[in-house]
Amino acid sequence: MKRFAVHMRAFFRTLTGRARHRRSFEQVFDNFREVLERNNRSLEIITSMGDTLGGDYLFDIQYVRRSYEDLHAAMIGSIDSFTRLTQNNYPQLAGVLAGIDARIRHGIEETFPESKDLVFPYERITGERLHDVGGKNANLAELRNVLKITVPEAFAITTGAFDAYMRHNRIFDRIGLPLEGGALPDDQLRELYELVLHGVMPPELSRAIEQGVQQLKPRCVGCSIAVRSSAGEEDGAFSFAGQFDTVLNVPLDAQEIEKAYRKVIASLFSGKSSVYQTRLGLQLKDMKMAVACVAMVDAEASGVLYTRDPGGDRNNMVISASWGLGAVIVEGQAGADLFTVSREEEHGQVGARIGSKSSMLVPAAGYGVVTVATPVEKQMQPSLLPAQIAELARLALTVEKHFRRPQDIEWAVDRSGRIVFLQTRPLSSVDDRPPAPLEHHDPVRPVIARGLGTAVQKGAAAGKVHVLKNERDLDAIPRGAILVARHDSSHFVRVMTEVSAIITDAGSPTSHMAALCREFRIPTVVNAAGATDLLVTGQEITVSVDSTGATLYAGRDQQLVERASQDESTMEELFEFRKKRYLLRSIAPLNLIDPLRDEFTPQACRTMHDILRFIHEKSVSSLIEYAEHGVRSGTVRLDLPIPAGITLIDIGGGLDNPTHVSHVPTEQVTSAPLRAIVSGMTHPGTWRSDAVPMQVQDFMSSMLRVPDLMSDSRGGVETNMAVISGEYAHISLKFGYHFIVLDCFCSTNARNNHIYFRFTGGATDIAKRSRRLQLIAQILEHYGFTMGTKGDLIVARLANRPQAEMLTVLDQLGRLISFTRQLDAVLNDDHAVTHYVQSFLDGSYAYAGSSAQS
Amino acid sequence: MDKHRIMVIDDEKIVGDMAKLSLEQEGYQVETFLNAEPALKRLEEEKFDVVVTDYKMKGIDGMEVLRTVKDRYPATQVIMITAFANLDAAIEALRRDVHDFFPKPVKIKELKASIKRALGKQG
Repeated sequence: MKRFAVHMRAFFRTLTGRARHRRSFEQVFDNFREVLERNNRSLEIITSMGDTLGGDYLFDIQYVRRSYEDLHAAMIGSIDSFTRLTQNNYPQLAGVLAGIDARIRHGIEETFPESKDLVFPYERITGERLHDVGGKNANLAELRNVLKITVPEAFAITTGAFDAYMRHNRIFDRIGLPLEGGALPDDQLRELYELVLHGVMPPELSRAIEQGVQQLKPRCVGCSIAVRSSAGEEDGAFSFAGQFDTVLNVPLDAQEIEKAYRKVIASLFSGKSSVYQTRLGLQLKDMKMAVACVAMVDAEASGVLYTRDPGGDRNNMVISASWGLGAVIVEGQAGADLFTVSREEEHGQVGARIGSKSSMLVPAAGYGVVTVATPVEKQMQPSLLPAQIAELARLALTVEKHFRRPQDIEWAVDRSGRIVFLQTRPLSSVDDRPPAPLEHHDPVRPVIARGLGTAVQKGAAAGKVHVLKNERDLDAIPRGAILVARHDSSHFVRVMTEVSAIITDAGSPTSHMAALCREFRIPTVVNAAGATDLLVTGQEITVSVDSTGATLYAGRDQQLVERASQDESTMEELFEFRKKRYLLRSIAPLNLIDPLRDEFTPQACRTMHDILRFIHEKSVSSLIEYAEHGVRSGTVRLDLPIPAGITLIDIGGGLDNPTHVSHVPTEQVTSAPLRAIVSGMTHPGTWRSDAVPMQVQDFMSSMLRVPDLMSDSRGGVETNMAVISGEYAHISLKFGYHFIVLDCFCSTNARNNHIYFRFTGGATDIAKRSRRLQLIAQILEHYGFTMGTKGDLIVARLANRPQAEMLTVLDQLGRLISFTRQLDAVLNDDHAVTHYVQSFLDGSYAYAGSSAQS
Repeated sequence: MDKHRIMVIDDEKIVGDMAKLSLEQEGYQVETFLNAEPALKRLEEEKFDVVVTDYKMKGIDGMEVLRTVKDRYPATQVIMITAFANLDAAIEALRRDVHDFFPKPVKIKELKASIKRALGKQG
């Protein structure tokens, strides 16, 4: 069928005048080299941008603009050359580049186009929609659509909807403020909040929400909705942890959802969140909020998981868990269970602290949630079973691997025991460096307490204690104080720029407050039971937090504080820096890895690097296709000491003094890859000159097999032939009933180098042929090839290795070609495969009945 | 001993932020400004050991900063950074006794080394 398609393509090409054979192979090869050169130019710019934006350089937006313009021009060049090489076989690629380009340019100029869609069902959310749907929606949809992890039924209300709402209600006009710079005075902020809360829904938005509700209803019978903000950036530029309102247990009804929607978007302008935004240097008028409408999970238990323990051993994860809904944990109000779990495969528990869980949050009848007393028998009972913990850990690592960063995951276990993920975002500021040594404290300074609580953010601070009796008194906390409280609370964000450390009697290292403390790098411990009794307001102390908890010293130890603060900060914590670095996310990462997989398509390219990878791979394929079909004349016979009968076509630099001869000795071959292969093929003992006796079934099998296995090896071209240049060799070999294609580029620039190896067919029965393929696969794997097999076909690739290594591998491939020529006949069982793999790798090439010497 | 004081003037926040973070790690006291006017005012109040200034800025530009600093506070060393390798500007700055001149992107390590040299020069 495939063969038929190839022929039909060729036929239509002839009809449409896109005749490939009109180009000489030399032209095609030049074109191929041009693609490589242009790809290299693009890769050099990407590397340079990665270096410069890596934190070791001071750079400005001019640099980013200039470099990106260079990169874009180089990418256009790469695609131009590629289009010529493949004769426009991949017209979609230019569109893919345009999409990525638009995303990057919007990122550079910080101008994002308004989303035209107001509501998106999760199944339609793709990576490109991040800016429209916000981080929470985008990540959850990615779990659902890509990782196939269970998430609740949901739809997103976009930032476009937010814009439409603000415009419809003329919010900023009515406020009449030049909203540039600084925080708004409280009264104006309140006015803004009220305007948003009591605004009118644009009719088109009401219709879109109604539609979203109707689509959800059949899949979510009887369910209610959690309406949550989705304002965090795609990769958690800032966590916004707990900064915006969430409305839980909203009936699945458009009007009710609208009401909740207004409440949630109004919270963008609440006093609490505006402090946070101002702290980050964000402008209110630039803030947009997408909203997630997520079906409530009837949760038996729920909580938060960090894929790395931010306050302790980085080889562990931490899971906070409690009965009922999870809000009690993220708000740090309940004595939750805390499990420390190994990241290693079995995910064994390293530690468990079963909390009191005196209260739990459950959906209220009809609307909202209610805190109830936890039944006594469940209070001290672990809220997760060991199997559930292991499964949670396994799923969480899948998510971490996918997003390539430690994750902060909200999860629930429903009444049927099913694990559902409710949110995932990057875990902020997990310190990958070893902790600064803090043990050199003043030995004479009295220690008040040691190993106190659970570390949230390491570091040290000195100041006067302020024991908070009531959250209403937060504003009374003096600047520089050490805040000591009974519980953790996300409301502490109001004073987070003022206080120098936070200690709480109870709380969770996975709460919103904990996330904020890490973000603001405030030394913090929670679960420091008795701290509020131990310390008194006005007392001067020094707090030092490391993985063992807090050590409290009497008095002020400035030296210790300074030592702890040194080298603690990294560029990643600078908001402006992170914003610029995000641009690289559409440029540098490589997602398109395996060319043998179905998703190796232009549409699967998410970054500039992906496009270059695609271009390189398909250019090699194109070159192979041309080498197989497009070469006709100028041949010369290679004299070999073995009867392999190879005809050479030199397209430049492959032979020394090639003119007007019909035969050349191997010494005259100047093509580096061909020399290596021939040297391997003729290595003593590898080529067996006698015939290996076939068994009857092999003979019958060979009689039944059609030699023309590959329509590619057309008549008219020598069966064993090689197209060569100084750095290139394309070799097509047919030995009896099996066929080998070897295509390699081997230059001093490792980035350009590739080996493509294809092996198919054989005369023996299918079991023996399969064993030969297994053997070849194992040997190729040993040399680092990636490969795919189908029936009796094996396709293997190796790329980007330095020249010397490529030549060594090619020599080994030459040996393998000779060694395996008749080997299938003696591969009577699987044990033989293992045996001959080892003997090949040991450099021993003799096999049963062999007269060859090794 | 009091910390050395460094002033960074650049109309792009990211430059000031990154410079401040990396220079504070060296133990310097760093103040950043997005334009030269308030920076020069601040210099009237406080002595700074080194001023790192962008060349091209709206209002008072880097060359003007260099001139003013050298006129009024000759002991203060000035390091100029610029978005483009601008030879004329570099020559002009050298004539005005600039301590160092870097085209952006500036390797932070080199900036730190230059500041160290400037402080040595200052005695």
